[in-house]
Amino acid sequence: MKRSLYALLVLLIAVTLMIGAGCKKKSTPIARAPVASTDEPSGPPPAVASPTVELNAAPTTIKRGEESKLSWKSTNADSIVIDNGVGNVATQGTVTVAPLESTTFTVTASNSGGQAKASARITVVRDEGPVEIIETDVQALQKAIDEGLVNPVYFAYDSAELSAEAKEILEENSKWFRRYPGARIIVEGHCDERGSEEYNLALGDRRSQSARDYLIQLGIPGDRLEGISYGEERPFVQGSNESAWSKNRRAHFVVR
Amino acid sequence: MKAKFLILLILLGSGFLQAQDPDAVIFPKPTPTRLAVADFTPKTSSTPDTQTALNVFNQVLLDDLKFSAFFELPSKSFYPLKPLRTPQDVIFENWQVPTLDIDFLAFGSVQVDATVTVVEAYVYDVKTRQQVIGKRYTIGDTTLIRRVAHEFADQVVYELSAGASQGVAKSRIAFSSLKGDSKEIWVMDYDGANGRQISFNGGINKFPEWSADNQMLVYVAKLPTVNRWQLFLHEVDGRPTEIEVTSSYVSSPAFARDGRVAFSSRTQSSREADIFIRPAGGGPARNITNARGIDTSPSWSPTGAQIAFISDRTGGPQVWVMDADGSNLRQLVTEGGHCDSPDWSPDGRFVLYSWQAPRQWKHDIYLAEVATGKLFQLTSGFGTNESPHWSPDGRHIAFQSTRTGTKQIFIMNADGRNLKQVTTYGINESPAWAPYVEANRLGQ
Repeated sequence: MKRSLYALLVLLIAVTLMIGAGCKKKSTPIARAPVASTDEPSGPPPAVASPTVELNAAPTTIKRGEESKLSWKSTNADSIVIDNGVGNVATQGTVTVAPLESTTFTVTASNSGGQAKASARITVVRDEGPVEIIETDVQALQKAIDEGLVNPVYFAYDSAELSAEAKEILEENSKWFRRYPGARIIVEGHCDERGSEEYNLALGDRRSQSARDYLIQLGIPGDRLEGISYGEERPFVQGSNESAWSKNRRAHFVVR
Repeated sequence: MKAKFLILLILLGSGFLQAQDPDAVIFPKPTPTRLAVADFTPKTSSTPDTQTALNVFNQVLLDDLKFSAFFELPSKSFYPLKPLRTPQDVIFENWQVPTLDIDFLAFGSVQVDATVTVVEAYVYDVKTRQQVIGKRYTIGDTTLIRRVAHEFADQVVYELSAGASQGVAKSRIAFSSLKGDSKEIWVMDYDGANGRQISFNGGINKFPEWSADNQMLVYVAKLPTVNRWQLFLHEVDGRPTEIEVTSSYVSSPAFARDGRVAFSSRTQSSREADIFIRPAGGGPARNITNARGIDTSPSWSPTGAQIAFISDRTGGPQVWVMDADGSNLRQLVTEGGHCDSPDWSPDGRFVLYSWQAPRQWKHDIYLAEVATGKLFQLTSGFGTNESPHWSPDGRHIAFQSTRTGTKQIFIMNADGRNLKQVTTYGINESPAWAPYVEANRLGQ
């Protein structure tokens, strides 16, 4: 019995908060005597009138770092408290806040006869400038690479020709590159340890170019794709056998 | 035995290995000069400092003269026991006994005093009993004792070869060295001593080459924070200067004696490497090859009129030769497989290169005679041998080899003998032996 009463109380508070959160521009007083009186359901009628309170935020939507003004009015209240770090305030007034995340401010007005609450939500949006979007795309593409969604393409010995399989991989990669247009991509060309230093630096360049050219054909803007050869300087796998060599003859993709 | 025979058959069958002994072609010397190098001795008193300096001096001098490839040096165990300090100490008959039969005798003294070290060095013609060289070197710092030994060794080579070589003992080698995380340009004495780091950018620095005056190195580098290869001119005692190129790829630069720089790069619009030449005074580089395929690894002929380079325009990378304006193109090596790193000899007769046979993965060092197209194999056996480079006198070759495990720099005679490892620490590659500086030629 006690348990279900408690559940009812929680439910009522939750509903109250949801209603409060729902009112953005016009905040409505939400003082409810029955709520306050659940503490003493069978007590005598209150000696003093219940408090009322209203809370408004203007503007209700800000960018991170900007300010908003909270203003409130109350009647019959002995004490007024606003949460989220504002604290005790006068029975009416304004305060400037600059929340970093979207926040619902709730004011509680009380006196010996009971309590009233009102809420106002300030929505904080991310700055939509170009810098942050690029950062997001860079991170997202990096994640796609880390998760193996963007893959290297492999080449035959002394060749920069794209195989059918390599083209399929590039087509798959291009979807991710297209999805995150804010990210620049380095197309690295690599060789196995055979061949020779000078020739391999040129061959790695040719591999980088052919992967880059195909991505441009697939519609990725060339200015997002930077080519570079590493020759035989950065093998994926150490070893002097075909299994190591075949993994080292590659073009692979790094977020700039 | 059977395997050896089979290999020989295959090589002969392909018409590759010529029957000539490269020694006969490269070193036509009728009778070798027999030289004795007696241990130098203290001049006045055998102090510990003098003894230390003597140990270094005697070892370096002997190593230099052995490596010079001009002399037959009979074993010291046959030498007369009496120490030689001055010409008065020499009993010539003792050096003419049949076991020695010496033509020339080198000897002298080293003395380290409080403020000065004095080296007196002689060479005598044993048959005529005439002095050929008499030198007195004075240094303030015993750390220069190696340098004095090199100076004297080069003097001996110059005099006893009748000016055929100025010697290589004083020469230096630039190379690319991976120690820790970065591959930097270094310079060392030809024998591996006195290594000194030149570049300090923390990136990948490759393919150093010297200017004719030995003041400047040219190389390419991929810096950690820059997403392209860059071409650098670097004063050996100064700072690097970037030379702008037209793409993110630049490789294998080479100085002509007149200061022109040939290198491999491409334009933004072209897809494949070409040879470019930057004028001696600077200014925009000119593309002199535009065939399909990769063109790289240019090496100037000594006159600067021609360039040997690598091109895969007909398939695999092969050695080609052209005039410095791109005309008179011809293929020098037509053996298939994979060639690279051509280096034109200082006398213009030969082009060194590395070759990887078809379906093989290791390279060996070969020599092509420019006029005839005759080929000679200079290395064989374990490991891959690449990036050959002539010594300034054209009698020796530096190259990189994995024969002892990691990639290290070796030097040897131009006939493939007299092999000597000169680096051991880190991974070391692309040796560039400094050319002679014309103005400092001995005897002028």
